[in-house]
Amino acid sequence: MGQKTPQIYSVELNGAKDMKQTDKGDDKDKYRGLWSTCLELRKNHHKEHVTKEIDLGLSSTQAAELLARDGPNALSPPQETPEIIKFLKQMVGGFSILLWVGAILCWIAYGIQFSNDKSSSLDNVYLGTVLALVVILTGIFAYYQEAKSTNIMASFSKMIPQQALVIRDSEKKIIPAEQLVVGDIVEIKGGDQIPADIRLLFAQGCKVDNSSLTGESEPQPRSCEFTHDNPLETKNIGFYSTTCLEGTATGMVINTGDRTIIGHIASLASGVGNEKTPIATEIEHFVHIVAGVAISIGVLFFIIAVSMKYRVLDSIIFLIGIIVANVPEGLLATVTVTLSLTAKRMAKKNCLVKNLEAVETLGSTSIICSDKTGTLTQNRMTVAHLWFDNQIFMADTSEDHFKQTFDQSSGTWASLSKIITLCNRAEFRPGQERVPIMKRVVVGDASETALLKFSEVVLGDVMEIRKRNHKVAEIPFNSTNKFQLSIHKTDDPTDKRFLMVMKGAPEKILEKCSTIMVNGQEQPLDQSTAEAFYTAYMELGGLGERVLGFCHLYLSADEFPETYSFDVDAMNFPMSNLCFVGLLSMIDPPRSTVPDAITKCRSAGIKVIMVTGDHPITAKAIAKSVGIISANSETVEDIAKRLNIAVEQVNKQDAKAVVVTGMELKDMSEDQLDEVLTSYPEIVFARTSPQQKLIIVEGCQRQDAVVAVTGDGVNDSPALKKADIGIAMGIAGSDAAKNAADMVLLDDNFASIVTGVEEGRLIFDNLKKTIAYTLTKNIAELCPFLIYIIVGVPLPLGTITILFIDLGTDIVPSIALAYEKAESDIMNRKPRHKKKDRLVNKPLAVYSYLHIGLMQSLGAFLVYFTVYAQEGFRPSTLINLRVEWEKDFVNNLEDSYGQEWTRYQRKYLEWTGYTAFFIGIMIQQIADLIIRKTRKNSIFQQGLFRNKVIWVGIASQIIIALILSYGLGSITALNFTMLRPQYWFVAVPHAFLIWVYDEVRKLFIRLYPGSWWDKNMYY
Amino acid sequence: MWVMLQTLNDEVPKYRDQISSPGLTVFPKPVTALEYSFSVSKRESYEGYIEDLKKFLKPYTAEAQKNLRNCQDGALFEQKGPVYEACQFPLALLEACSGESDPEFGYSKGHPCILVKMNRIIGLKPQGKPAIECTGNSKGENTTTLPVYPSEGNIDLKYFPYYGKKLHASYLQPLVAVQFNYTASSTPKEVTVECKIVGSKNLKNYDDRDKFLGRVAFKITMRA
Repeated sequence: MGQKTPQIYSVELNGAKDMKQTDKGDDKDKYRGLWSTCLELRKNHHKEHVTKEIDLGLSSTQAAELLARDGPNALSPPQETPEIIKFLKQMVGGFSILLWVGAILCWIAYGIQFSNDKSSSLDNVYLGTVLALVVILTGIFAYYQEAKSTNIMASFSKMIPQQALVIRDSEKKIIPAEQLVVGDIVEIKGGDQIPADIRLLFAQGCKVDNSSLTGESEPQPRSCEFTHDNPLETKNIGFYSTTCLEGTATGMVINTGDRTIIGHIASLASGVGNEKTPIATEIEHFVHIVAGVAISIGVLFFIIAVSMKYRVLDSIIFLIGIIVANVPEGLLATVTVTLSLTAKRMAKKNCLVKNLEAVETLGSTSIICSDKTGTLTQNRMTVAHLWFDNQIFMADTSEDHFKQTFDQSSGTWASLSKIITLCNRAEFRPGQERVPIMKRVVVGDASETALLKFSEVVLGDVMEIRKRNHKVAEIPFNSTNKFQLSIHKTDDPTDKRFLMVMKGAPEKILEKCSTIMVNGQEQPLDQSTAEAFYTAYMELGGLGERVLGFCHLYLSADEFPETYSFDVDAMNFPMSNLCFVGLLSMIDPPRSTVPDAITKCRSAGIKVIMVTGDHPITAKAIAKSVGIISANSETVEDIAKRLNIAVEQVNKQDAKAVVVTGMELKDMSEDQLDEVLTSYPEIVFARTSPQQKLIIVEGCQRQDAVVAVTGDGVNDSPALKKADIGIAMGIAGSDAAKNAADMVLLDDNFASIVTGVEEGRLIFDNLKKTIAYTLTKNIAELCPFLIYIIVGVPLPLGTITILFIDLGTDIVPSIALAYEKAESDIMNRKPRHKKKDRLVNKPLAVYSYLHIGLMQSLGAFLVYFTVYAQEGFRPSTLINLRVEWEKDFVNNLEDSYGQEWTRYQRKYLEWTGYTAFFIGIMIQQIADLIIRKTRKNSIFQQGLFRNKVIWVGIASQIIIALILSYGLGSITALNFTMLRPQYWFVAVPHAFLIWVYDEVRKLFIRLYPGSWWDKNMYY
Repeated sequence: MWVMLQTLNDEVPKYRDQISSPGLTVFPKPVTALEYSFSVSKRESYEGYIEDLKKFLKPYTAEAQKNLRNCQDGALFEQKGPVYEACQFPLALLEACSGESDPEFGYSKGHPCILVKMNRIIGLKPQGKPAIECTGNSKGENTTTLPVYPSEGNIDLKYFPYYGKKLHASYLQPLVAVQFNYTASSTPKEVTVECKIVGSKNLKNYDDRDKFLGRVAFKITMRA
């Protein structure tokens, strides 16, 4: 990884846009900002006089001026849509346009009425106002929900403000990093985040972690020498937002905020378009269906009405009624609530969803491109294997149970453990005695930390052992020596010898040895033992583990008396003929929950692709151990090795798995990548740069897959944005990644993604149920209008009453369906196909509209006719009564029994009819709610009482209806009247009929899967 | 649906709660809203009204009423069935407005008659002595009580209760005629007439929302 050149870097960025275009001149053009920054860096480098100012720093006034000129040292957040635009979008999105049309038609109708007759009633004005209010209120509600979920994110990104130690007015001051300006002198030390792009002026043992910028995981040494023309390569530049791992440094700020390298990359990410979420597409599709139905029925009946010689004004009013009846006003708000409920549930399971719609996206995911480190693995080196006495021992690598079960009786182990303990510079931070060993914070690098924790668990108090074996000399590890050495006094007071312990790259250690310890006894190192060593070394290396060799030597007391002064530079001690003790291998082990999660993904039809910057062998080993590459599948190379033939001769179809390196990927064309992605079920991308992730994501998306991508680095942000759902790591993730992502994984754990997928799938199913439930009554609301126009009965259901169903009784029940449990194991079926498995499909629409919807209409009409008949108007009398019924000056309209009715008496009866129809729908919606609990299983399989919220919903329906009928019965504007109690039960038989009908439907679906019935009746 | 229809009573609707008190209506039926407009000198302008009245009064001719019973005045005529009889309503009660002495119902003389009746409601038994009282109000003049026939606008109790279209097929409603006694002048004469039921406790004549419950208001515009 260390060899990565900036050219690759830019080419890859370019590749992200267009793989074929690698011309560098073009790069310069495209990323002029980036390059000019570099030039500026070089110029700065020659400003020698600056060094004088190190002690002085900038003066406060200078700094203030510069701050005013350059702005604060912070990345400007991605350009946000202005709040007002967001709000207006809610106002015109979805059904809102239709309702606005309805409202405006109302006002126009009133205008016409008013111009004809000054005393015309204000009904249409009220209706228009109510419709407008509905739009505005649901808009505000959706906006509020949206804003609330965005706020979670905002609070999240506002972590503890970064501080910087700066020299100003020749004093050291700690100021917020935001206030840094170009020219400030800052001091950094191990553990600090670098607060801006800085040029180092002093550096002592300084190493930085540039992984968030370049994807290199190795620590990079930094000094104050100018080593390369390219700012990304030269050693004397520290980058904003990278971390200083060890050492100290003083540097001058050369770029702040958006002008930093990371700022440039972050702004590149915003150039990658955000994909529309699948659920947004689905809802749009659904809105189109419903709007289509509404408009076509509306226009059709407008024409019918006009040709039936209705006045145009009346026809417009019919049109409004049809629109209002057809549009499920409350549904979009319900969907928002449902999604945010799920988002909350997911947040509890460590998936923080930034964008509500992403909740479902996770459910339809068909490919997950996952990082390895930290996501699949624990992100800490852990001792996995030991080799001594010619034997490989396994160590426990699970997260918390650190039970070591290997044989510890051998004398070799005693020696090995001593080396592990003593030849180690890592230390626990003090004051952590009560913290479990595995969770303690350690000062030191990853391998040493692993060894320290390992020995602490196995041997007990390591610091005490070290104290007893006083260290007299030490050579720390460096990359040229590839070993680490220390010399100690022993803890045996009778033994005056010094003990020299050493660890390092196994082959380097072996070179220095002439003997090997077996069962506590030193034996000469012969050919066969050396071979055994190499076999073990290769085996452990083949597992992708980092292997270290350990050796020691007791220095004779004669040659090295107690007073001997060791000189590590002169190396006045033996460096050969040492005694080899053993090998120890370490790996960043997989999280224990991951293999299960991967199995779940597999049965859920989700392909998991590992994308890592790590070495292919390590990547493959981890992939195998977590199951991304399953136990019995082989790569082309594996087959070649097994059959002992050349790789080219292997039939590629036999290989199920493939490991693709970044280098190979770079040479692939789009088609070749597509072929890899389609032909292998198990894929690992190793040694890839974060930029190549984008290429992989695009490749997956070309297969029509819904792609989830995990990422943490700044350079991941384009891929995170491009993915259907970008998942940023909450712990390891950079702010830029979190900004670009749709979801933040709070525990960085892959398994949490899988629980998220489960939730996402459940919500899709439940949204289907909610929509089916809501659409059903639309027919029952629409039919009254159609019958009214064609048959001429008094209007059975008023427009305002419809709104009370849509926004009153139906709201809680439709939300309650979100709490419904899954019908079967939703993780055992394939992810839904983006284009085939629609949220609202034909069976759903047909079954809801034409089956249950029509049954419901019949039931509601029954209640309506019953009320009219028992008051004196038989159904036969009602036909074509409309015109006389609505004439204001006809005050002696005769009913079926010869009684005469005034206009107001009729009107009151009409309202009673509305109430009756309303109650009829409400009662049947209870049945509808119950049947919608399942789509396939019998209600009795699902359990009638398992989802308590459903019953809350039913109670809310009844209570709202009771209040409307009996509580508000006297408020005439609402058109409700007191309804005789028995009318509440007229529709009950119909409700049961609906239930039975649906049970029969489900029974046939279960009995004859795949049949015509199944295909047309299962939604 | 069918089950529901079977439960219905052929003779009496199950509930009459929504028409507990009758509304008032007028005849002839006005052409637009509740306005009568005609010119005394032009027969064609009021011919429609006369025709309408004649048609309306057809069941009230002596010939049509000959099979009806001559009931006792001043008391409810309650019947047990199975055959329900109707009481006679001699046209003579309407005096000048009966159409017998003046087949033009006073329209040609500038004293037009308007008939007022109560809406039929099954089983309604008025209490007290119901009567219809009409007042006329013309711009710039005092409100005056208009002459009504039968005298004092009395509605006799013998016409109640009503037993429904099926059982009580021959039923005749009691009528009250109001005569317009203004003199026609050359300028159009506009009078707003309001009639209401008085004298009975259970017949309401005022309701906030229902302008025709026990009362009726209409306008007459008469030109020379």
